[in-house]
Amino acid sequence: MPAVCLYFQVHQPNRLIPYDFFRIGDHAFYEDDRLNAEILTKVADKCYLPANEMFTRAIEASGGEFKFALSLSGTLIEQMEHHRPDALESFKRLVATGRVEMLGETYYHSLAFVHSRREFERQVALHQEKLGEVFSVRSRVFRNTELIYSNAIASAAEMLGFQGILGEGVDWLLNGDSPDHLYRAPQASKIKTLLRNAKLSDDLGFRFSDQNWPDWPLTPEKFADWVAQSPGEIVNLFLDYETIGEHQWRDTGIFDFWERLPAAMLERGITFVTPGEAVAKIPVWGRYDCQTPTSWADRERDLSAWMGNVMQREAIEKIHVIEEAVLKKKDPDLTHAWAKLQTSDHFHYMATKTGTDGEVHDYFSPYASPYDAYIYFMNALADLHVRLKRLPDAAGVSVPGRTAG
Amino acid sequence: MKRLRVLKLGWEFPPLINGGLGIACLGLSRALAKYVDLRVVVPRIDPDAQFDGFTLTGLNCTRVEDLQKVEGTYQYDSFAQVERIPIHLDPYDSDETLSTQSVRSSGGLARFSRTTRDQLALFKMGELYGSDLGDKVVEFSKVCAKLAMMQDFDVVHAHDWMTFLAGVEVKKATGKPLVVHVHASQYDRAGADARGWIFELEKFGMEQADRVIPVSRYTGKIVAGHYGIDPDKIRPVHNGADPVEVFQTHKKFPEKLVLFLGRLTAQKGPEFFLEIAARVLEVNPDVRFVMAGTGEKLRPLIESGAFRGLGGHFHFTGFLNKEKVNELLSMTDVYCMPSVSEPFGLSALEAAQFGIPAVISKQSGVAEVLKGALKADFWDVPLMAKHINDLLTDDELRARVVKQAQADIAASTWDAAAAKVVEIYHELV
Repeated sequence: MPAVCLYFQVHQPNRLIPYDFFRIGDHAFYEDDRLNAEILTKVADKCYLPANEMFTRAIEASGGEFKFALSLSGTLIEQMEHHRPDALESFKRLVATGRVEMLGETYYHSLAFVHSRREFERQVALHQEKLGEVFSVRSRVFRNTELIYSNAIASAAEMLGFQGILGEGVDWLLNGDSPDHLYRAPQASKIKTLLRNAKLSDDLGFRFSDQNWPDWPLTPEKFADWVAQSPGEIVNLFLDYETIGEHQWRDTGIFDFWERLPAAMLERGITFVTPGEAVAKIPVWGRYDCQTPTSWADRERDLSAWMGNVMQREAIEKIHVIEEAVLKKKDPDLTHAWAKLQTSDHFHYMATKTGTDGEVHDYFSPYASPYDAYIYFMNALADLHVRLKRLPDAAGVSVPGRTAG
Repeated sequence: MKRLRVLKLGWEFPPLINGGLGIACLGLSRALAKYVDLRVVVPRIDPDAQFDGFTLTGLNCTRVEDLQKVEGTYQYDSFAQVERIPIHLDPYDSDETLSTQSVRSSGGLARFSRTTRDQLALFKMGELYGSDLGDKVVEFSKVCAKLAMMQDFDVVHAHDWMTFLAGVEVKKATGKPLVVHVHASQYDRAGADARGWIFELEKFGMEQADRVIPVSRYTGKIVAGHYGIDPDKIRPVHNGADPVEVFQTHKKFPEKLVLFLGRLTAQKGPEFFLEIAARVLEVNPDVRFVMAGTGEKLRPLIESGAFRGLGGHFHFTGFLNKEKVNELLSMTDVYCMPSVSEPFGLSALEAAQFGIPAVISKQSGVAEVLKGALKADFWDVPLMAKHINDLLTDDELRARVVKQAQADIAASTWDAAAAKVVEIYHELV
């Protein structure tokens, strides 16, 4: 019988104001604080608070057998600190049950790895620091933004001391193998890779509320039967936390489903493991060779959700090209503002995809079109450039490659 | 000399305007009113708008009863052969629609019968340049002919193709001489190979007219060459520019600002502006380029700019109201108008009023007025870029261009334009 490894991503971005040309050089705050607070409040009330409570009850009811992992982005933790401390407290109580493992990620929910190893490591360290400060925990397993994964990312996570890393189990790399095992990347020696079971995860994240789905309505018993049929040691169910109560509303029965799922699993002899426990006790089954980054987004399961068109590629290139110049100023506000512009969602809004994936991009976007998203982002970035020019260089810092005087 | 009475036919009129036509019509009307008795007829007016010196009639405010007196006394000549008119007419589309609708279907023998409330209602609703533009043009002509028969005047003066049919109809109904004013032609809007209903109307109107007034010598050449109109009846008259309230705004960023202002359509050459920007930025990164306006090319332009890596230095504002445009002008260092074909180009004159030196295409009317502006063929990206760079870096050159522009603006008044137009009227009366 396989074990179930359950992980939820919890993230909110800092959406930008419609930053028009006339603000450049004059308006140094790029984020739509009101909108961000509004959305956080909606999601906290519809998902975070009730889901945390529901899961706390489920953990108690299972006598501690039910457990799972959460990954909270740094941007979300900050938003809760500012706007909804009660939601953050609720997460703290949930973590305090001892049955919820916290995963490591990039603080800004960014694509930093793709562009800068140094910035990636800086953000992972920042996130680790924040977890210690807020939850008094240290993460042992890493999950990169939007489940972006490659051999190189696995190796990088290993170098940073992580014992496990999460990735999307993509068909063309599994090549007929099941995602329900632990894998190892070719160059890695210790770190183990957990691959998402896309089919079963999406049954819960998307199809659960789809009345045209032949398996609708899905019951905890039916789902537990499916899991029991897995050929592997572990079934990795990775999904967004917001699928509970926000993307799928309460009236779909989603809360009731989750609350009853642990018992249905346990009755069938299916146990729960957290990612940390899984890498500690389940051996590696085989090699998983992922040379080009994959993700859990869109049908392509690659980086095209954020880097698929010229606007996205330019925006992301322009934000990273100033890394050296920004860090050199040693100005915490500037660095923070710059890093927040790296959040993957900004580029997600610029996608010009059509069809079902296009609808997903539109659903999340606060802007009228991807073109608006690009324009506002580039204008905000232009302002950041102006600030960069105006700030004096940090005192006493020698600039590599230049002689003094 | 006896004071002339002029019946002027226009399409848009402030404050209900889409582009420069309405502004030019108002400017010219105000100035003409000093010399002649003027009545202006347009499809639609804002009933609350007040203008001194001339009478303004909007068909949206005209009642069926107003036309009672002349009903049945005249048969519409031009429409005797009209069977079908285009639907979904877009003046900016070179590929003019092939779908038409029968005139007879709506009201059977309407073209020979009384004007109905339904016909007049056409001018109360919808866009002036909406998909029923063809209908509006035809109905406008019919009503104008009737209005013309109810009054005395000496000359009928029609502005742009939408009113040319009406002008011809009035001429036929009253025997008065017709002057047509060409603010823009299909050649400018949709390209040299554009053919269709609009082109035919333009050509027909200009052929039937006794005088054709293009807004520049540049447009005069198109009227003669492209439309084959007898050069002897072409009389170019430059537009004037109403003085604008000029102010300076301190830029909030250290870079220089180069501005493009206009509809984002092929006619205005926005792609060339993008290329020019890329050139300038290669040698001078401390410049911001702003493309203000909107149009069907906006999205491709955004993508093209991103592809060239210009984002961050090339900014799109979308549509801006007058106030925002002026704010932008008040901080602009160089104005660039790389139009592929620009009959006049009032915006360059407005920029000059703000003391902004201009780099403009030779394919524009305003190039004849702004003698000191730096010029290049619209396609000559390297030269355009060089001009911009020179103006950004050479203060002496900049001062010279601005000074010459001030002198040129001083001469560009609607009064001067009106005086020339009156002379043209007198050639006919």
